[in-house]
Amino acid sequence: METFEVKGKNKPEQEIKNLHVNLEDIKAKDGIIGYILRDPKSASVDIKDPSKIIDYAVLSSTVLDSGTHMTETFELGKIDHIVVEGGDVKVLSLAIDDHRVSVFMNKKVDHNAVYKDLHLK
Amino acid sequence: MSKDMYTAALKNTLTEIKKICPDIKYSFIFTKDGAIISGDGETNNALTKKTVESFQSLAEKAGVIGGLDALFINGENGKLHISRVNDMYLVVTTSPDADIAYLRSITNVIVPTVLKLLENIAPTPLKFMPSQQLVVDTLTGLFTGDNVQIDDVHLKEWSQHLDGKDVNEVEVETISGKKVQCGVKKITDPKRQGKGMILIPEKTCRTLEVKKGDLVKVKSIAA
Repeated sequence: METFEVKGKNKPEQEIKNLHVNLEDIKAKDGIIGYILRDPKSASVDIKDPSKIIDYAVLSSTVLDSGTHMTETFELGKIDHIVVEGGDVKVLSLAIDDHRVSVFMNKKVDHNAVYKDLHLK
Repeated sequence: MSKDMYTAALKNTLTEIKKICPDIKYSFIFTKDGAIISGDGETNNALTKKTVESFQSLAEKAGVIGGLDALFINGENGKLHISRVNDMYLVVTTSPDADIAYLRSITNVIVPTVLKLLENIAPTPLKFMPSQQLVVDTLTGLFTGDNVQIDDVHLKEWSQHLDGKDVNEVEVETISGKKVQCGVKKITDPKRQGKGMILIPEKTCRTLEVKKGDLVKVKSIAA
């Protein structure tokens, strides 16, 4: 599996802008349901079905919290990314500095490709 | 087939998988109710319990994506993979370089095959009781007897797992691993109901070396 460097703190503003651009590109692809991007002060939410925004937001937050607990339990070190698969949908979650990203997609979408696209620019 | 044999069969399966995939560090299986069924012998109770708790809190929120079939965490120092096998979940942690696709191809064939085999040998599905963590309070007085008392809700939950049979006996385990088996009744004192307590006679408290406020794990042994 390919690995991608996630740079340390003080990520330049440009890179965060790139993240927004990458998310917009990803969102336009087949099978992508939407994304949630949060930082300590704000959140960008773009989910195709608005009635599910709250449920997706709660899940997004829980994925990273539960993932952190499990990672600490097994001393897995810093989380690179988490994938949660449901019956119909899967979620790719990762933290980039103080930004938390969750991309929701149909189960057949290649999440490794989405992960790669998140770090392209 | 007894529960012990069932557990031993799964433990051997996990041990053999570990031999095929030396990148595996820990592995264990739990039910969707949170009962730990079997581990590879190297995973301690604290690790399994914490993992199951975290997983269950995630599972509660996963209805929006059609339930929780699998979880994968890629960490700097290792990977964690949890996958659903029938009504159970298999947890595997590996080194950072492990080939998860290969691992999945192994576990997704061997574990379901063994479970199917066990199902055929023991057609009546074995019930694994979810355990409860309860706070100790002491039962004092001349007529306390030897039974512990817990909330009726737990007795009813276990009873449901036993197709409506009454639960009359439980195993109480302390954090240090001391265990006793004793009779159980529902809490009769209304002031102490619904507070997640287990009322234990003083004599049993001394045997277990627990005092008021300590946490203990309680499960039905009727399974």
